[in-house]
Amino acid sequence: MTIEFLWQLPTSGDGRYGDASQTRRGERSHSLHSPFTDGVSDPRGNRFNFLDHLHQIARAADLSGFDGIQIQNDLEGDESWIVAGYLARSSSRLKLLTEFEASRGSAVYAAKNAVSFQRFTNGRFAWQISPGGDSALRRRHGDFLPDSDVLSRIGEFIEVARGVLTQSPFSFKGQFFEVLDGGFKGPLANKPVPLVYLSGNTPAAYRLSAQWADVHVLDAAPAEELKESIATLQALAGEHGRKLSFGLRIDALARETEDEAVHDAQRFLAQSGRAVGTSNPVVGPNLWEGFATPQTGAAASLVGSYGQVAERLVKYADIGISSFVLAAIPHFEEAYRIGEQVLPVVRSRIAIVQAKAA
Amino acid sequence: MTIDIFWRIPTHGEPSSHRNRKPWRGDWFPGNDNLTKPGLGGGEDGTTYIDYLAEIARAAEISGFQGGLIPSFPSTDEPWVISAFLARETKTFRFMIPFQPGFLNPVVAARKTASLQRATGGRALYNIITGGGGPQQLWWGDSVPHDDRYTRTTEFLDVVRGVWRGGPFSYQGKFYQVEEAGLPDPLSQEEFPEIYFSGSSDAALASASKHADYYLSWLEPFDALRDKFKRVKDRTDALGRKIKTAVRVDILARPTEEEAWEEIRKGFANVDPAALARFQGTGEPSESVGAARQRDFRPTTINSYKDLITEPNIFSGFSLLRGGQTQGIVGSYEQVAERLDDLVQLGADSFILASTPHLEEAYRVGEEVLPLVRGRPSGSAVLRAVG
Repeated sequence: MTIEFLWQLPTSGDGRYGDASQTRRGERSHSLHSPFTDGVSDPRGNRFNFLDHLHQIARAADLSGFDGIQIQNDLEGDESWIVAGYLARSSSRLKLLTEFEASRGSAVYAAKNAVSFQRFTNGRFAWQISPGGDSALRRRHGDFLPDSDVLSRIGEFIEVARGVLTQSPFSFKGQFFEVLDGGFKGPLANKPVPLVYLSGNTPAAYRLSAQWADVHVLDAAPAEELKESIATLQALAGEHGRKLSFGLRIDALARETEDEAVHDAQRFLAQSGRAVGTSNPVVGPNLWEGFATPQTGAAASLVGSYGQVAERLVKYADIGISSFVLAAIPHFEEAYRIGEQVLPVVRSRIAIVQAKAA
Repeated sequence: MTIDIFWRIPTHGEPSSHRNRKPWRGDWFPGNDNLTKPGLGGGEDGTTYIDYLAEIARAAEISGFQGGLIPSFPSTDEPWVISAFLARETKTFRFMIPFQPGFLNPVVAARKTASLQRATGGRALYNIITGGGGPQQLWWGDSVPHDDRYTRTTEFLDVVRGVWRGGPFSYQGKFYQVEEAGLPDPLSQEEFPEIYFSGSSDAALASASKHADYYLSWLEPFDALRDKFKRVKDRTDALGRKIKTAVRVDILARPTEEEAWEEIRKGFANVDPAALARFQGTGEPSESVGAARQRDFRPTTINSYKDLITEPNIFSGFSLLRGGQTQGIVGSYEQVAERLDDLVQLGADSFILASTPHLEEAYRVGEEVLPLVRGRPSGSAVLRAVG
């Protein structure tokens, strides 16, 4: 089994070392003065914005050996498909896992745009379709669908998109989407269908993944708990004659020693305005629950030495995780750290395990 | 106001000259849905068609065009994707993105647009298309009837504008509802894109008058175009909003008029008789009023390319030589510039030009023709207002 490591792109801002507050590095507001004193000239003007920094992070992920980037659908930030296209030509290798909601519009149009991505990137575009927020938040974004219909719309969206990508003519009339004699021809025909990554912990989310996902991305939790989820999901997928792959959305705060990691983790919590020591966030070996959840969306973070973090990731691979969606703050510097210090260890350990098994 | 001149990005692929359909650049052209061996891009050498489109965008900006229209057809690549891909490697090229409002949630469209503005330093424009109707709309997954689609277009742009500055904006339309919506900062600080609007029906004009900056027409016979622009401007003036007009036109410019027509003669000699027969036929019926108008301007008997010369320097058979519109301007550099100035005189404020092949011709037209166009010096509008 091939293991992939994807690095998260924080589309609405990031922190800095020793400063957990959110900032958009590179962003130059038209109204703000230079951060320099009057005595120091600032050559930047308004030339840069946060997209330039997102580009830096993507390059960092590419250069430090990640297999792809995950482009967050953060409604406070830049739109994920534009970001994906903006970054696409700066790497010939990275998978572009692009997160969005099925409320974005026509599934045919999304599929057609995906074809161009696949043609221009030689098939590196992938989809992470998320349900979005609660109904009040979704109404703010023009989506008045009741909560109970959100998952079925994702299913239809995938069915229509796969239909027009793989068949011509393709017709469909469902609750949310309709197409007549559709399907792409000529140079747009038979391009790789974007792999679909779904997630969610409810029985309905499991059923959706069983039927439609290529990869079900699990929230970070102790490996033993995930083992159970994987078995349940795989059994459900089996009812459709399908097999799922599994992903894990987890953060990693790795330092040379465990002490340094714990120190930095506690400082981060303090800077985030969360009291340290009132409740124990450690829910498993090196696993801190809710650590940077407001910032990165991950349910938990590994906190430990390079060796410990690598070991935990290998353990997750052992139970069947093949797509790691990783993040750490700040995303640029930490891409290099994780890419240089952790991934090589994980990869070689997994290779040894796989060689033994073969 | 001075005149804006745009170029076109050939999403539909193109031959390397007007004379012959081979060799073909890109991997698609009208009538050949099965071309599998592209001449440029999509091959096994790691390049793709976006590499060629990038060359054209760079050629257009270096040679002085504002930017380019990036057409969208069922078998071509999508302009949102092309624009995002080329954002970092262009400096001044403005991306004119045609799309149908029905395809995108307007709040998502607003976020996409603001992000593209941020990615390009404000170089995104819309070409709002409302769709020709009939079976083709259902191919795209759109089942809303023709006149209702203009209502939807109006509502769509109401919402995109409404959320643009950050809101909170609420809206109760027939097609769209939003509650307390607004773009987040810093997306909300971007300029709203200029809107080019197409559509010839009354429903289209009503919608254009509310939201469009430019009313975009294909080239038509000059008198017809003068009337059309007058009608558009009268109608929108009456509704209290001034809009400008733009013309899409193909040109074939050479150092002498003889050389220019020689290109057409050679191209016409290579036209497949079956294609010529199709050209003379009535074609597929469509709900599009614009498409019907184009057909009306076509002669019925064609024995030579000369039968398709409908006005001085106007050739009405371009679609026989390559994909796209029918009418275009043929002549010396000076003649082409003069005809463009004639169009300025009858009301055009902006042009989208094209010629085949778009790469080399971007340089030729930019270097040889654009410097000869008088256009409309910004002072003259002021003088007219005073007079």
